[in-house]
Parts: sequence; structure tokens; C-alpha cells
Amino acid sequence: MTSTPLTKPRFSWDRVVQWSMVIITITLVVFPAWPIVYQSFLAKPLYDKERDFTLSNYTKMLANDKFWHILGYTAAFAIAATILALAIGILLAVLINRTNLPLRKFYSNLVTIPYFVSPLVLAFAWMEMYGPQGFGTILVRTLKLPTWQLYSFWGIVVVAAMYYIPNTFLYATSSLALSDPQLESAARIGGATPFQTILRVTVPLLRPAILYSALLTVVSALELLSIPLVLGNGVGIDTLSTYIYVLGVVGVSKDYGAIAVVAIFVVLLVTVLVYLQGKLTTLERRFVTVGGKATRPKLLDLGKMKGVVSAFVGLYILLGIILPLACIVLESFVPFLSPFANPFKMLTWENYQGIFSSPAYRQSVTNSIYISIFAAGIGIVFMALASLTAYRSTFKGRNIVKYMALYPRAFPGIIVGIGFLWAFLLIPGVGSLRNTLIAMSIAFVMRYLPLGFSAVSPAVMQVSDELDRAARVGGATWLGTVRHILLPILRPALLSGYIILAISFLKEYAVALFLFSEGSRVIGTTMIELWKQGGAEPVAALSTIQMAITAFLIFGSTRLLGVKLHGK
Amino acid sequence: MENNLIIQNLTKQFAGVSSVAISNVNLTVKEGSLTTLLGPSGCGKSTTLNCIAGLEEPTQGVIRVGDFVMTDIGKGVLLPPEQRQLGMVFQSYALWPHMKVFDNVAFSLKLQKVRGDELKKRVMDSLDLVGLADLADRYPFQLSGGQQQRVALARAVVTRPRLLLLDEPLSNLDAKIREQARVWVRELQQRVGITTVYVTHDQSEAFAMSDMIAVMNKGELLQFAPPNELYSNPATQFVAEFIGATSFLKGVIASMDGSRLTVRVANGDILKLTDRSSKSWSVNQNVTIAIRSERVEMAGAQRDGNILNAGVKSSTYLGSKWQHVVDTGSGSLKVESVDAATSDRMSLYLPPDSILLFPEEK
Repeated sequence: MTSTPLTKPRFSWDRVVQWSMVIITITLVVFPAWPIVYQSFLAKPLYDKERDFTLSNYTKMLANDKFWHILGYTAAFAIAATILALAIGILLAVLINRTNLPLRKFYSNLVTIPYFVSPLVLAFAWMEMYGPQGFGTILVRTLKLPTWQLYSFWGIVVVAAMYYIPNTFLYATSSLALSDPQLESAARIGGATPFQTILRVTVPLLRPAILYSALLTVVSALELLSIPLVLGNGVGIDTLSTYIYVLGVVGVSKDYGAIAVVAIFVVLLVTVLVYLQGKLTTLERRFVTVGGKATRPKLLDLGKMKGVVSAFVGLYILLGIILPLACIVLESFVPFLSPFANPFKMLTWENYQGIFSSPAYRQSVTNSIYISIFAAGIGIVFMALASLTAYRSTFKGRNIVKYMALYPRAFPGIIVGIGFLWAFLLIPGVGSLRNTLIAMSIAFVMRYLPLGFSAVSPAVMQVSDELDRAARVGGATWLGTVRHILLPILRPALLSGYIILAISFLKEYAVALFLFSEGSRVIGTTMIELWKQGGAEPVAALSTIQMAITAFLIFGSTRLLGVKLHGK
Repeated sequence: MENNLIIQNLTKQFAGVSSVAISNVNLTVKEGSLTTLLGPSGCGKSTTLNCIAGLEEPTQGVIRVGDFVMTDIGKGVLLPPEQRQLGMVFQSYALWPHMKVFDNVAFSLKLQKVRGDELKKRVMDSLDLVGLADLADRYPFQLSGGQQQRVALARAVVTRPRLLLLDEPLSNLDAKIREQARVWVRELQQRVGITTVYVTHDQSEAFAMSDMIAVMNKGELLQFAPPNELYSNPATQFVAEFIGATSFLKGVIASMDGSRLTVRVANGDILKLTDRSSKSWSVNQNVTIAIRSERVEMAGAQRDGNILNAGVKSSTYLGSKWQHVVDTGSGSLKVESVDAATSDRMSLYLPPDSILLFPEEK
């Protein structure tokens, strides 16, 4: 059998898919980024016919005292929230995973609840419970006890920390699970008591994880919009995110140049932090699988303290998570919520009827569901292909995919929204997409590309590459290998990635805030609209609907499909 | 035209690494024979195999089977792995965990559009060949290591490939099963009559299975020869050292008479030897002589010369024999014996035919 020597095949579907991944990941970043850069040099709004280039947007902003004040305030807020979230998260992780704390299994599930709740909902929940007119606040006040001011720096810090604790907790927990138990056994053999072991060995071993999740939380807090907006807006507190929001949405004369400059500033700041975080990741053995079945050292005995400590943890969960969320659910079923009127005597469906009788509000719920189901489905397939191109091909552009897939991490949601909005305004031909769910879905996929990509990639890297080599030698193309071997093996990871993406899309509000219009409302945007109109009860109803759908997704996927959601 | 595997001038340099992974390797594997690539880890044997498979892109060189050119970098030919029509067994076996044994074996045939009874027959024939036809409905995780390895082999030969590539396929097996596996892999290879390239770092495996052995080190092919020749006439000091327990002594050539030479070692003892290499030597040249521990004899009987008196430094009992390290005054020698050493001195006879000669290495 003879063959004519042929040069590298000119056309192959492998290359088509791999090139598409490069083009799509680059486009997803460049498309919303360039109008912002462009606008930052324009004297007038970018849709204006006159195009005068100027640096005055920058000089004006740098000379603006308010900007510097807000920057300092945002930094202080992000750092304070991070420290609080880390301290509580790590303490809880050690107590729940390494001590004989009563009820620790039960607590470990409850502690992570805020992870699945939108920060917007959490902000509303705390407002309804602990705000100046909150159920809890009034109750305490009538008992003639001292109260607090939630609408303050520390109020915002505490609520933000509540939102981030599940992250720091989960990160410390997975790091504890990965650490070699023999290191702790060695300390015990060397004469350390269990308590000394935890203090001198266990927690210091967490240092890389602590540093990593500290940066993660700081980045997240810098761009957080909802909690500062809901709790700080009325009392004149601004962070960079709420400042952009106020400039762009609330402000009488929208200063496009100023928005662009602040946005660029935030993106650069976050880029630096994300870069540092990337540096840390390489130092860390994140993808090392748990080795062996070495027995864990005996759990630390809390002794007589254990009842008291358990009660404290229980109180934290009750006051911080359960009561605020219960409060907002209850409020959705009453005309008004007050400690002076028995809510169970005035239960009603009115608030829900109000939502569903308005076509616009009803549509925001169905839109959110559509985006969660379809955009997340298409998104996870795209992210899996991107990850396989990045980590499982010899394609020359694979490193581009690797970096571009993670770079959207540097774009806060509100800036993604602005970027897409302006891009749709500027580019002829695509403008008709602007008011559709397609535009919204693309923006959502861009925003969550890093999340989905990094949810799938560890699983991709754990599959032995001999499995795909065997398929290639056996006669399969790269795409054939992806279809017949890799995707089927990765199915559990894809499924849990899909659920995580669907929940994130359901919760997302910041991306949609600028981008939405008649017909492309989502739950988050409607909540903010209603909140601005002062409708606490309809907001509670929407929050409850969002939590119910999330709970349905979580229970459906974990119980029925056996999906693991935070096996980080 | 014979369908030999021909490798010409194969060179591979990884980007950003100054040393080459493979340097100008030339090799011809006869149709139907089994050639082993042998060497320590990092010697380039696996890289060579991956270049044959098309899993790695060489910097230079030609790889073809008869007229079927798979790689010719000069002419811009580089077939992707799936177009090379090969079979390969991996170190981890690489059985796809989501497919049953039958589907693992059937995978390539299905890609070739083999369907129905024909598919079933060929898959079962192949599983019969490795004696696992009754396990066709199992999943890989339900099989033992040895069974998985046989399924991997069945999968590799089911398409009647041009070449069978084996990448340390026995290294994950227990010592006992590994020896059995050697025998039947070799039997199967001979029964199917498939041209095979086998990669291992285990010299006894290489000796037990191969028609030809290619010894590699630091990316270079040092010697390509049948096992017995490799043993009796290693081309370089590295090959002699890598194959078997070999000791080296430094010396100077004292006299020459054709292929008969004498070498003076450090303490003045003269050793006679017969040189079988085709190297040229000169009197007073610095050389290294090598002798395998199993060839050194305890000098009980009368011998005409080639006797070294040595003090025993250590003795280790290995179960079937003893291994001693002795000091000859000219360097250390490893020596084997059936019985324990009776005193702390021994006199050793080095048969002239068993002494190997190498130029002194810097």
C-alpha cells in the first residue's frame, strides 16, 4: 500500500473549532472593551455625530476630589469586608472540619446558603430585618435596647462579609481536605496538643489558600454594586460601582466621558489584582487530587466549651442568614410587615398577583428562566470547548484561549453592561439585537466565562491525556476525540458547571442594569426598579421567587442528578 | 517491497530547551519484528515513540513504513496520529472508563465504518486473541490490571495496524504477572506477525522480548543490535554499564598482537584480553576495561594468569546468590558467587574472552 506524501491538510474541522474558540474569546473581551476606551477620549457622548478627541475626561476625573474620596472609601470597604469574611470563614471552617463541634454537619450546609443567594436579595433581606425600619430593629427598639445604623460604612461591611463568608469558608474547607493529614499527625507525635496542632500547623498550612481567597474577595468587593447601593444610596455613601451607576442611570445629565474613565480605572485596578491572584495560583497545588486514604488525626475535643461554641455558631447562622431570609419570604406574603401586627393573620398572594399581572414584571421572571436554561446550556458547551482547546490540543493559539477566557474576570458586571450597550449602539447592523435576550445572553456568557472555564478546567486536566492519545492513534480526529471520549468522561463536571452557571445567571443583575430595555428585563433589574419606587413587598416577592427557583435547581441537580456543586 | 519501519535523521528539540530530546536517530525495524527502545528515563525513547505515533512533532527527520510516509519534515509531511493507522498501548492502558470492554475495542473499527456482524466478529476475534472474550460486557474498572492491559492490547491490534507501539505497557503490573505478561505479549506479537516498537527502561524485559534492542541515552542512539550481541559486545561504556552489573577498571595498553592485547591496571597487574570491537588501539593508550560480575570466577583451579587478588569490602545475600564488592588494589569489582565468602580475601580469575575494552572517557 502506497500513499502520496501530502502536506498538512488544508481544511479540518478540528482547526475550525479551535480557531473559533480563539476568535470568540477575543471578541467577547474586545467587543465591550473598545467602546469604553473610545468614549474615554471623546468630548461628547459616543453616539453624537461630532467626534472631538480629548484628554479632558481624564484630567477632569483626576482633579475631582470626589473621585479620590470614593476610591479611598471603596478600598477601605473592600479590605474591611475581606478581613471580616476571612476571619469568620476560616474560624467556621476549622470549627466545622477539625473539631467535635456539636451539629457541625448541619451547620456546614447552612453556612453556605448566601453563596446561592443574590447579593441583591441579601441586601434587601438585611434591610427588611435590620434596617432603620426593619422588623428586628423595631423589635429591639421597643424593648428599649440600644440599636444600630445599618445604613453606614460598617453596616455595608457586615452585610458584604456575610455574602463572602461562604467563599472563604469553602476555600478553607477544601484546602483543609487537601492538606496532608500526616503533617498533623507528625505534630501530635512531636508532642503538640490537638489545639496547638491546629494553631501551629493546620492554620499556617492554609496560608496560600487564605492569601488567594483574600485577593478573590477584595476583587469581588471592589466591584460589588448591590449591597452598597441598597444600603448606602439613601445616606450618600458611594463606592466606585455605585458611582458609575449614579453617573449613568440616575444622573440628570449623563456624563459618558466620566463613566468611561472610572470604568477604565476600575478595570485596570482589578487587572492588577487578578494578575497577582494568577501568580499565586501557580504557587499553589490547586489541582493535586486528594491522595491516599490516610486517616485523619482525631478531631480536636472542644471539651466543656463545645456547647457554648455550638450555640454561638448557631446564633450567627440564625441572626445572619436564617432570620433575614425568612423575614423577606414572610414579607412577600403580607401587605406590610411589622412587629406590631401579627403577619400570620394577614397572609395574602397580593404581592405575587401584582408581579404576575404586570406583563413587564412577569416577563422579567420568564426572561431570567430562559437565560438560565438556554444561555447557560450553550455557555457551558462553549466554555468546555474553550477549555479543551486550551488544555487538550496542540493548537498554536491555545494559550490565547487560556488567557482570554480568564480575562473577563477583570470586568465588573456593571462595566460589562455599559460596554455591551455602547457597542450595540455604535456598531451598525447589530443594533437591532440590543433589545433582545440574545444581547443579554452574550453579555452574561462573557461575564461568567472565567467562572465556567475554571469550573470545567480542573476536571479537564484530571483526565489522563493517554485517553485522548489512545483515541487519536486509534483513528479519531481531535474533534472526534472530544465528542466520543472527553465530553462523555467530563459529563459530571459539565453538568455541575451548567448548574453553577444557571444559578449565576439567575442571580445576575449588574450586567443587565445598563443593558436591559423593554423586553429584556430580568428579575434583578425589576427588583431594583421596584425598590426605587419604594415597593418593599413586591421586591420581597421577586426575591422569594428567585430563591425558590435557585433552591429548585440545587435540590433537583444534587438530589436527582447527583451533581456536586462546590467540590472546588 | 518490504514494509520495514524506517526512521531517518530523527531530531526533536523542545521549544525553550537548549538540549535536544532526540538527536539524529536512524533506525530500521524489520517487518514483523519486535524492536525495543531501551534506556534510562529522559533518554528520548518515549519521545521517539511519540514521534512515530504522530503525538509529537519532530524538528527534523523522516518516518515511514515501506512507502507509506508518515513524517518527512523536509517535505512538509506530517500526518496527524489518526491518519497513520497504528495501534498503541499506553503505560496506564488508557482504557476509556465510560465504555465497556467491547466498545473500547470497537472504537477504531466504528470510525472506519465497520458495522454489524463484521464489527462484532472482529472485536470478539481480537478479544479471543487475548483470552478475554467473556469479559466483553464489563467496564474497565471491573477488570484487574493484567486484564486491562490485555484489553488495551486487543484494542491496539483490532484494526490490523501497520505498527504496534508499546509504551512501557508492563510497568504497572505486579512483578509476578509482569513476567507472565512478557511471554504472552511476545507470543501474541509473533502470532499476529506485527511490526512492533516497544519502549521500556527494564533491561530484562528488553532481553526477554526483543529481536533487536536500541539503547538510547541523552537523546542519542548508542547501539542497535540483537540482545546477545548487546550483551557480549556493548558499543560504549554506557551500554556496558546499563546492561547488567558491570565493573570498570582503568589501565594502559601494555602490548598488542592483532586482537590480543594486554592491559596493565593501576597496581601493575597485567590482564590478557581478546578485543572484539572494531576500534583501533595503540600501545600506552589509556583505556577502561569492563567485566560483568557473573563472569568473574573464583580462582580455585589452576589458571594461567589473569588473576587478581582482592580484599572483600562487602557481601550481600540476594537469595539465589551472593554479590561481593571487592578491592583489587586497582579499583573495585563486583563479583557473584553461589556460596558465601569464606575469608576476607579472594583471588579472582578474569577470563580473557569476557573482558571488554573501551577508550578512557574524559
